Amino acid sequence: MNVRVIITGRGYLPAEGLPASLSLADGATLDDALRTLAQHLPAGEAPGGTCLVAVSGTHLGTVGDHPPHVLREGDELLLVAPMAGG
Amino acid sequence: MRELLPEEQERYARQIGPGVLSSEGQVRLKRAAALVARTGGMGGPAAMVLVMAGVGRVIIAHGGRLISPDLNRQTLGSEEGVGLPRADAFAQRLRSLNRFVTVETIDHEPDDAEAEALARRVDVILSCAPSFAERLRLNRAALAAGVPLIDAAQWGMCGSLVVVRPRQTACLRCLYPQQPEFEELFPVVGGISSAVGSLAGLEAIKILSRTGQPMYGQLWSIDGYHGRTSIVNLRRDPRCPCCGDASPAGDAPS
Repeated sequence: MNVRVIITGRGYLPAEGLPASLSLADGATLDDALRTLAQHLPAGEAPGGTCLVAVSGTHLGTVGDHPPHVLREGDELLLVAPMAGG
Repeated sequence: MRELLPEEQERYARQIGPGVLSSEGQVRLKRAAALVARTGGMGGPAAMVLVMAGVGRVIIAHGGRLISPDLNRQTLGSEEGVGLPRADAFAQRLRSLNRFVTVETIDHEPDDAEAEALARRVDVILSCAPSFAERLRLNRAALAAGVPLIDAAQWGMCGSLVVVRPRQTACLRCLYPQQPEFEELFPVVGGISSAVGSLAGLEAIKILSRTGQPMYGQLWSIDGYHGRTSIVNLRRDPRCPCCGDASPAGDAPS
């Protein structure tokens, strides 16, 4: 199955070369997707533990702290790396 | 309820009517008070939006003196203002926009006690602060006072808004159980600062005037670099030390 991936916030630049979607095995979980995503990113640029995670518009937690979640074909995985004001 | 002066009715004529504010909503704005914590790239435009719209009392908090690198995004700044205390210079600019509004200044970053005291004097808090410590402090103050919090953030050409209805929707601490590490100086382009700040101001106007649908419980991610936006429905964390079921007193300062 394919899952669309969007990385925004502080991490958007290292994610420039990412494919628009990840190809995952049926029944893949959010953690599977995060592991696959890390393999596509430059070394040391995987989303940090405090990066917010949402799947198809629903907030699940952070990269470091989220409940198990099984992905579905066509899901959109959104990662929002920390931002601040100023 | 204080009525609008004829001059105020003339000033706000373009924002009173179908699809915008009702006359009652405009009066609610006049009666309302807002705290804008940091009035730089995002908070400056947010404060401008509030002042121009007629929010009766706008309290701005910003320390330090204006420096040249501020001027790529801080719309309340000016070449003439470089070297001057930001709070005073910014307040002068805001007052020049609308004589019907009171602008108060705090010339430093409020600590926990002051933040909570300020929160109890206002009807909404706009957090446009550059550090997570300050943002989470404002989050705690908003929860303690029971006033809505609008958190605006940015990095590079991206920004985000989170609108919190205390103890009903996710608070900032629900989103960040662990305080992220964040650099003091980070890249940012003024266009995204102004856009996110103005939208934060719009959310405040909606809340204060009871107009439209505030984005309570949602995160609005605006990726200007790629030209796309996303809206996320946020999950309130029942274990949250700040607003969770077992935390009537709020969490401890970070």
